[in-house]
Amino acid sequence: MTTYLNKLWGGARLAALEQLTYRFNLFSDVAIQPLIVAAVELTLWLAFFKSTGRSELAGFSQEHYLAYAIWAAFVARISANWMYEWNMIDSVETGSVNAVLVRPISFYSFWLGQFLGYKVLTSSFSLVVPLVVCWAMKLPVQLERLPLALLLVLFYLIFVHTIAVIMSSLAFFFNRVHHVTVAKNITLWMLGGEFFPLDILPEGIREAMIALPFSSAVFRPVGYLTGRLTTAQLGEGFLSIAIGQIVLGSVAFVLWRAGRRRYAGTGA
Amino acid sequence: MMKAFYSITSTATATWNSRVAEQVRDLLKHIALVGAFARVSLMSELEYRFNFAVRIFTDVIWYIAQLSVFEVLFQHTDSLSGWTLASMRVFMGVLFLTDSIYMMLFSENLDRLSDRIRRGDLDLLLVKPVSSQWMLSFQKISVAYFGNFIISALWLGWSLTQVPDFQWWRLLWLLVCVPCGVIVVYAIRFSTASTALYFTKADAINYIWYQLYRLGTRPDTVYPKVLRYAVLSVLPIAFLASVPAQVILNRTGPEMVLWGIALASLMLAVSSWIWKTGLKRYASASS
Repeated sequence: MTTYLNKLWGGARLAALEQLTYRFNLFSDVAIQPLIVAAVELTLWLAFFKSTGRSELAGFSQEHYLAYAIWAAFVARISANWMYEWNMIDSVETGSVNAVLVRPISFYSFWLGQFLGYKVLTSSFSLVVPLVVCWAMKLPVQLERLPLALLLVLFYLIFVHTIAVIMSSLAFFFNRVHHVTVAKNITLWMLGGEFFPLDILPEGIREAMIALPFSSAVFRPVGYLTGRLTTAQLGEGFLSIAIGQIVLGSVAFVLWRAGRRRYAGTGA
Repeated sequence: MMKAFYSITSTATATWNSRVAEQVRDLLKHIALVGAFARVSLMSELEYRFNFAVRIFTDVIWYIAQLSVFEVLFQHTDSLSGWTLASMRVFMGVLFLTDSIYMMLFSENLDRLSDRIRRGDLDLLLVKPVSSQWMLSFQKISVAYFGNFIISALWLGWSLTQVPDFQWWRLLWLLVCVPCGVIVVYAIRFSTASTALYFTKADAINYIWYQLYRLGTRPDTVYPKVLRYAVLSVLPIAFLASVPAQVILNRTGPEMVLWGIALASLMLAVSSWIWKTGLKRYASASS
């Protein structure tokens, strides 16, 4: 177990060093981009409350929605996996995966270490911004709930990584899986609840979307942090990810083994 | 004296005519080049037909994601900053239409531009007897997005049937407004990608571009005053969809169209200036 954790730690350090090479890029990634997203979403919510003349929607005030928009922009960036999934697929398509296959670590763990290292590094910087903004704007946030909310995001990252392994396995069978991964990520983006809290959706769709593990990308952790959800509802998020992880983990395992069998070692 | 005057004016006219003729020939050559690029791109894309379908599918999902925001908000209100659900659907239709044209003509070329500059891949292009900006902008035409163009046009057509008393002749305004929107988006994107000539790695600026683009995916009336002025002037991303939609819905006058033409021309000139100035710093091996 210690050896395995050391290997993961090695991957995490590698990712952190890579990111720190270009510091302006890192700054843009963790602060500028999510701030612009948050600003665009804030204007939409402000316009909504101004146009309707309402002081609340689905039992929550304008301030709650502004807090949600700010946190959602930052948490969504943490819980998404574009870059590493792209690199993983690339490695299978080009054959550079060979370098991983001969190492004493699985493909899954090699990339998981790097992915988590990158996310922990970027999150520790980027979460300062919504904290400061919400404090300055006096927006309602229950900070004592932050550790548990972040734990759910961390759990979700492992689930998202499993999906990335499925996509990489598909690269053994098909050419150019990259575009499928874009379609998949936009779908997850929509299901996660970055645009709006999922509980304002019409009945029926709302229950289905919240029940899916993807709601733990943004809606559950941010909803919990901004007081929309209870601890029990957050717990359901852990359960739904665990079920998703078992199902998709099995799919990833089968697909990866089948892909490896047909792989000739010269690129897919 | 008169003879000399006639001789000078006729020489000047002949020189002028030959210059104009040369410029027209040059323009035709560049347009023909785009046709050739389109043919080659089509052949290359048909090699991967699955990919072709997936691209259309991906964008349809993006459209659904964008639409879902407003469809959900309008479940709780009848009007948003002066936009009804019907007019908002028209706005989205114009957005999809302009976006599909931009994606078809420029997206793939401009997405790779920074990388090509950084790797020093421009040498072959720079020695060709055509404008390097033109070559880089049109080299790969993503023919698959023509499918998105059709879908967007159908959505726009349907959404306009939902607008009471819509005057269909107003659609003609799109012939001016959509090209202006595409040029504005192209010019901003080209300028941001060209910053790779000045900085070693411009990935961050490229990512910021995507976020700025998001400002154009909302009607400008939802923004506070200062931001609204910005998206209509310094960073005229409102011409992507907001202004064209307001023009065809008769919510703004022709002066906005004229302003759009002026801004598009200015932005294009600025992008060309940034490119030409930056090229002087291009060191070939790596910028």
